[in-house]
Amino acid sequence: MNNKLLSGIGVVALIIAIFYFTSLNKNYQDLAKQLKVSYILHNPNKGLPFFSLIDHNNNKFDNNNFKGKWTLLSFIYTHCPDVCPTGLMDMSILKSTLIKRGVNIVPNLVTITFDPARDTPSVLKTYLTFFDKDFLGVSGDQVQINQLIKPFGAYYERVVYAKNGKPTVLKNDEPLPEGALKSGYLINHTAWIYLLNPDGQIFAGFPAPHDPITMADDVELLIKNY
Amino acid sequence: MFNKTKKLILTFTMLTILNVSTAMENHHTNHTATEIVINDPWVRSAPPNAPALGLFMQINNNTNHDIKLLSVNVSGYKRIELHKTVVQGDMMKMVKQEFMPIPAKGKLHLKPGSWHIMLISPESVLRKGDTVMIDLVFDNGLSKTVRAQVRNGKKMTGNHHSMMY
Repeated sequence: MNNKLLSGIGVVALIIAIFYFTSLNKNYQDLAKQLKVSYILHNPNKGLPFFSLIDHNNNKFDNNNFKGKWTLLSFIYTHCPDVCPTGLMDMSILKSTLIKRGVNIVPNLVTITFDPARDTPSVLKTYLTFFDKDFLGVSGDQVQINQLIKPFGAYYERVVYAKNGKPTVLKNDEPLPEGALKSGYLINHTAWIYLLNPDGQIFAGFPAPHDPITMADDVELLIKNY
Repeated sequence: MFNKTKKLILTFTMLTILNVSTAMENHHTNHTATEIVINDPWVRSAPPNAPALGLFMQINNNTNHDIKLLSVNVSGYKRIELHKTVVQGDMMKMVKQEFMPIPAKGKLHLKPGSWHIMLISPESVLRKGDTVMIDLVFDNGLSKTVRAQVRNGKKMTGNHHSMMY
């Protein structure tokens, strides 16, 4: 009898769960159709790995810093003269646009470096606050950053040029050759901007190149329909 | 007397050489000015600790031959490289270039997300509104000096919400 009751409860719970997730996905499917320049990446079963990094004020920055607020997040490196400054400017314009529109929720601006060996917290602070005083830069352990970027689908590789001009591509877990920190290296990387929800989960992504005005339309829509 | 004549001849010869070389230089400059025209050279304003800056412009080649931009000289930088941002799937790759090709009777637009000149390790980062002299060296033996202005890369214009580089 008890077993039958438990089975019955289990079946009902399963039906409710299926109904809930189906309707949830259905809602987001409808929302996805209205988006102009972004994609919903929401997967409630797949959270971010536990991480503990350092922000540009030398405070701990971990999973809790993404909770209870909306966040716009990008990954950059400061030795990048083209793609990263453009993305940072876009994030700042996006934020200003939302403020000008008088929206209730304006996401925080966070940027994590692909390159903590050169981008220390103090380097990031000077660099990022030039683009927007509200930016928070995050540096820290390279291995943890490598783990953290995976669920975002973000990726980078370092390119070291020899004196004869020959490039060597290093995957993110390969060590830099001796002297590369001094002689310099480039980083090929993905350049999406992500929107994280107040549960600290990846919610949507904006591929490059970015149009911050249209992005603002999508951000409003995404937050309103969460 | 003989010495005086000799001195006169020497002076005359020197003046003639100087005149010819100045004329040649002027001719060369005018020649370059019409063959290669640089429009809107600018450096993107950057944070005071930026390790690398982007330099952009439009290079017009009015000759009947393809030309190559081989190198760029700007004082105050440890190294200057020619680059192109290449998109491969989701990856943005910054690829170092040996030269930049400018087709005959054509142009090459150096702009964010595309061809650009990378100014590496500045002695000091220029501020918005500053100008900087740039020497461009081409493979046809010509060179060009232009003044580039430091400005924001992107801004909102008017009420139309349009973006411009």
